[in-house]
Amino acid sequence: MSGPGCTRFAPMLSARPGELPAEEERALHAHLEGCGACRARLADERALDGLVARALLEEAARVDFAPFVDQVMARVERPRGLRGMLALVARHKVAAAATALAPALAALGIILYVSRGPEVVPQVGDVEVVSEGRGPVVLSTEAGPVVLLGDPTGPEGT
Amino acid sequence: MEAEELSLLTRVRQGEREAFREIVVRYQRKVYAVALGIVKDRDLAWDVAQEAFVRVHRHLPEFKGDSSLQTWILRIASHAAIDSVRRERASSRQDIDEVREGDLAEGGEGILATALGSNPQESALRAELLSKIQEALAQLPEKHRTILVLRELEGLSYEELAERLGIHKGTVMSRLFHARRKMQVLLRRYAGLALPAGGEEGEP
Repeated sequence: MSGPGCTRFAPMLSARPGELPAEEERALHAHLEGCGACRARLADERALDGLVARALLEEAARVDFAPFVDQVMARVERPRGLRGMLALVARHKVAAAATALAPALAALGIILYVSRGPEVVPQVGDVEVVSEGRGPVVLSTEAGPVVLLGDPTGPEGT
Repeated sequence: MEAEELSLLTRVRQGEREAFREIVVRYQRKVYAVALGIVKDRDLAWDVAQEAFVRVHRHLPEFKGDSSLQTWILRIASHAAIDSVRRERASSRQDIDEVREGDLAEGGEGILATALGSNPQESALRAELLSKIQEALAQLPEKHRTILVLRELEGLSYEELAERLGIHKGTVMSRLFHARRKMQVLLRRYAGLALPAGGEEGEP
C-alpha cells in the first residue's frame, strides 16, 4: 500500500546513480526501507529497464534498409530550390556578403559608365597615306593617326 | 570523438560522397528506432529518419564535435520526430505531469518484476513483452513516448531531458514516472498478469 511520501519518492525511482542530489538520495533510501510499495515499484523499474530501447532496436533490425541510403543520397543531392539557395547563402558568410553587396556594386558600375558620357569614335578625316607598298598604312583622322595592319593592296584587303 | 568518426567527418567535409553514405548506413537503424518510438507509425518513422539525415547533411559543417557523432545525430533525429508530431503534442498539452495520490492507487506494484524474476519461462515472457512494447508505446500520449525514447534510446540524463524538452527537472521526473507507469499497466494487461483481488496490492 502506498504510504506517506510515495508521491514524492515514486518519481525518483527511475533515477540513475548520481542523478539525484545526495540529500534526496539519502531520503529516498530511507523511504524505501519503510515502504514495500515503493520497493515493489523499484523492482518493476529494474525488471523493465532497457526494454523499450531493446524492443525498438529489434524492430529496426527487422526492417529492410536496402533502399534507405540511396533515398537519403537522392534527397541530399537534389538540386536546390530557392530555399536551399538561401540556406546556402546563410551558411557561407563570404557568399552572403558578396550577395548583399552585389546590387550596390552593380549600381556603382552603371553610374560610372553613364558618367563617362558618349564614347569618342574616331572620325576618319582626309586619308593621307604615309607609307606605301606592303607595309602598314597610317591614316590621318581627327582623333589622331590610325595604323592599319596587313596588306591593303592584297586581294582581300583589310 | 572517436578517431574513426573524426576521419569520417573530415572525408565528408572534403566532399567525399561515400563517407556520408557510411554515416547513413552506420546510424540508420538507431535513427529509425528513435523516430519509430516517437511517431509510432513505421512509414512515418522511415520518412522522419530520412529527414533526419538530410538535416545531418545540411548541418554537418556546423558540427563542432562537442559530443559524439551518434549523440548529435540522434538529437537531430528526435527533433525531427518531435517536429512531425507537434500537432499531437499541442493537443495533449493539458496532460498533467505532477504525481498525485490517485496515480499510485491502481496498485499492481511488483507484479511484473515478480513474474519476470520467478517465472521459469522468464525468457518467453520477456520476449512476449518485447513484442508488445511498440504496441504499448503507441498507446501513450506523444509526450510520454518522447520522454521514454529519449531516456532509454538516447540515454539522456534528467538534466539533458529538461534541457531538450524545455521543462523543469522535477517535471522530467514526474513525466517519466507517468510514462513508465502507463507502460507497466499496459504490459501487465498484455501479459495477462491480473491485479490481486481487492485491487491495490498489499506490501510484498
